[in-house]
Amino acid sequence: MAIVNLKKVSYKYPLTDSLALNKVDLQVKEGEFVAIIGPNGAGKSTLCYTLAGFVPHFFKGELTGKVEIANKDLALSALNEWVLNVGLVFQNPFNQITGAKYTVYEEIAFGLENLGVPRDEMKKRVDQGLTMTGIRDLADRSPYSLSGGQQQRVALTSILVMQPKVLVLDEPTSQMDPIGTREVFGVIRSLAERGMTVIMAEHKVEWVARFADRVVALYEGRVMMDGKPREVLNSERLLGKGFGISRYTSTAREAVKQGLWPKNRDLPVTLDEAVAGFKGGRK
Amino acid sequence: MKIKVNDLRFTYPNGVEALRGISLKIESGEQVAMVGQNGSGKTTLVKHFNGLLRPTSGSVLIGELDTRNKKVTVAKLAQHVGYVFQNPDEQLFSRTVGDEVAFGPRNLGFDSQKAQKLVDEALALVELSDKKDTNPYDLSPTWRKMVALASIISMDTDVAILDEPTTGQDAANVARIAHVVAELKKRGKTVITITHDIDFCAENFERVIALSQGQILLDGPANKVLGREEILAQTYVDPPQLARLGKRLGLKKTVRNQDELLGALKKH
Amino acid sequence: MHERLSFYVKRDSFLHNLNPLTKLTLAFGLTFVSFFSPWILTPIVIIVLIITPLSFIGKVYREYFNAAFQLILPATGFLFIMQALFQPIGKTEIFRFWFLQITSESLLFAFTNATRIFAMVSSFTLFLLTTHPSELMSDLSRRGMPSQFAYVIISTIQIIPQMQAKAQTIMAAQRSRGLDTEGSFIKRVGALLPLVGPLVFGSLVEVEERAIAIEARGFTSTRAKSFLREIPDSTFDKGFRWILILLVIAIIAVRIWLS
Repeated sequence: MAIVNLKKVSYKYPLTDSLALNKVDLQVKEGEFVAIIGPNGAGKSTLCYTLAGFVPHFFKGELTGKVEIANKDLALSALNEWVLNVGLVFQNPFNQITGAKYTVYEEIAFGLENLGVPRDEMKKRVDQGLTMTGIRDLADRSPYSLSGGQQQRVALTSILVMQPKVLVLDEPTSQMDPIGTREVFGVIRSLAERGMTVIMAEHKVEWVARFADRVVALYEGRVMMDGKPREVLNSERLLGKGFGISRYTSTAREAVKQGLWPKNRDLPVTLDEAVAGFKGGRK
Repeated sequence: MKIKVNDLRFTYPNGVEALRGISLKIESGEQVAMVGQNGSGKTTLVKHFNGLLRPTSGSVLIGELDTRNKKVTVAKLAQHVGYVFQNPDEQLFSRTVGDEVAFGPRNLGFDSQKAQKLVDEALALVELSDKKDTNPYDLSPTWRKMVALASIISMDTDVAILDEPTTGQDAANVARIAHVVAELKKRGKTVITITHDIDFCAENFERVIALSQGQILLDGPANKVLGREEILAQTYVDPPQLARLGKRLGLKKTVRNQDELLGALKKH
Repeated sequence: MHERLSFYVKRDSFLHNLNPLTKLTLAFGLTFVSFFSPWILTPIVIIVLIITPLSFIGKVYREYFNAAFQLILPATGFLFIMQALFQPIGKTEIFRFWFLQITSESLLFAFTNATRIFAMVSSFTLFLLTTHPSELMSDLSRRGMPSQFAYVIISTIQIIPQMQAKAQTIMAAQRSRGLDTEGSFIKRVGALLPLVGPLVFGSLVEVEERAIAIEARGFTSTRAKSFLREIPDSTFDKGFRWILILLVIAIIAVRIWLS
């Protein structure tokens, strides 16, 4: 039973001629972790905004096709109710801090105040959220005193406590240093392991390879490939189009030509696969 | 243009001592990457190279120019040191890409013929020749980044500083940026970068300086520095992917890129 | 990143514990009384006998005095001099130097304006020092203020330090491209576009993202809001607000009666 169901979704931003999304089909089962990869301009952000309802309700423009999440139709829903269905976290952590609240605890509770959640329930959810994302020790800090990685985890927690059915992340670590990247991916991974449906646009293919159940490759607004990480990430079809290719994959691809990687072996995407292949290849 | 830093110390007005005794020399034409966790002092150090910051004690010499001298203004140092900031939207203001890229050269006093030539060359290098009359804000963030890069290249300075050039960029843009670095190297320019992208660092920079808490932890050739995992870990720097692969495969030397790895595997 | 995106200073004082609307009413009340009172010395009395003691009661006297001496006094002082010298009122000349002339009327006018503005800015400074914007927003929301209005206020309060930080980076970036920020007046005017341009355009991108972020947190939800923190509104608060309102009405009435 697909919790996310996009059928032939096409979208044009206002005052543009080109399609940002072109007949996109996407079905995601509950609990799946789907990574969206693609060069800049391929439509990753647009897809994320569509899932979160901002396309078309915030950006206007022309949307055709069907967007259904948790049995609700986007065309028949208001944005302020859709945000309960789908949570959105995007690149810039600083812009996701509302500035309306003095402490991280209050910041996280902000969404719940807007939804009229009773105070006891609110406190319970915020406490759970803080534990789930490992930021309990930041609860009394000002959101603006935090590092990028910490702020992003606060943003994530603020969305989580609203209990969306699907979590959409648009390149959540692209502005982060290595520590922040590790912190944020760690949290996302543990959420996915707990059964959250996660759809994440991401450049860092090494992380995608390790954590995603499925990879969707977008190119020029179309779904070019949709399958298991191993099938998509080392496919020749990604070459020459601006996709990020794992260094392990490209090195092994070149190594085949030089006889250093066995011809009939799948190209590696992770470090372990690369080690195994290169060691075995020379026996 | 040689850069000489001698026991540099710097304390911010709010009392934070960001640099605690840095000494180094960068020769003309070197490609140097500065790595280290946020707060280690990388940006603070590099801002001394174009006069945005002045030493609290110690000295910074850009060629013959001593930055302790107030008469050596930022505008004066801009003739020798170009600084590409991380966020292009914090510098773009012109109506067209051409005007934006011409801003630097014009400030440096180049005559219009020379300025135009530099502008055209810079635009060609970043693949934006056909967008000369476009408004920078009509371009995507990816291409705005290239406009920002071009506007410093056009200044034709001996030294170019790139502050986190690949953060948030897709693979295609990282490749373009790497191409620009290679071209600057060919032209004999000194390129200094601050970066968290250790793979980009390994593949494009011969010398790596690792900073931690305002001091230099490591300073040397990339394939020496990048192999010192435990020391780099102190400043939260991971080794590059291919170096890690090489190590797991038992290679003695730290490899910096695909060719070195495969070459070393053949001999192994 | 800036730690404080407001002027608020966290302390435990009588003022801090007052309801935010009470403090806002107080600021407006003192301002109205300063502007409408027929007695010329009212603003000074308010500053010396009400605002300054309140700054001690609110435990923010240091911050208030900093603001008063570094910002408010110089600004109102400048205003005073400009108006005294260049406001052509009246004939009773007191002082003349070359083409500059001060009449007792213009002196009075300048004094009145300067002190009123000083009192106004001081009242609101005191308010901002002892009230966190989020508290005020929550309280006003609870009383029925629509959320969009609250957002405009929140984002305006935030924008200033945000813009400050941005402006500094922009300045550094453009100086690094050889922009001359010292030098002649004309050069400095020419330096404005490269400094202001990115500030405006760059901020527009961020404004859109912030709007999306706040929408994603249910800000425009039509459901009735709940509140994490109790914001006390004691009988004293309510009573005090009524007294202030009556006082303002009384002053306005006196003013009308006297004219």
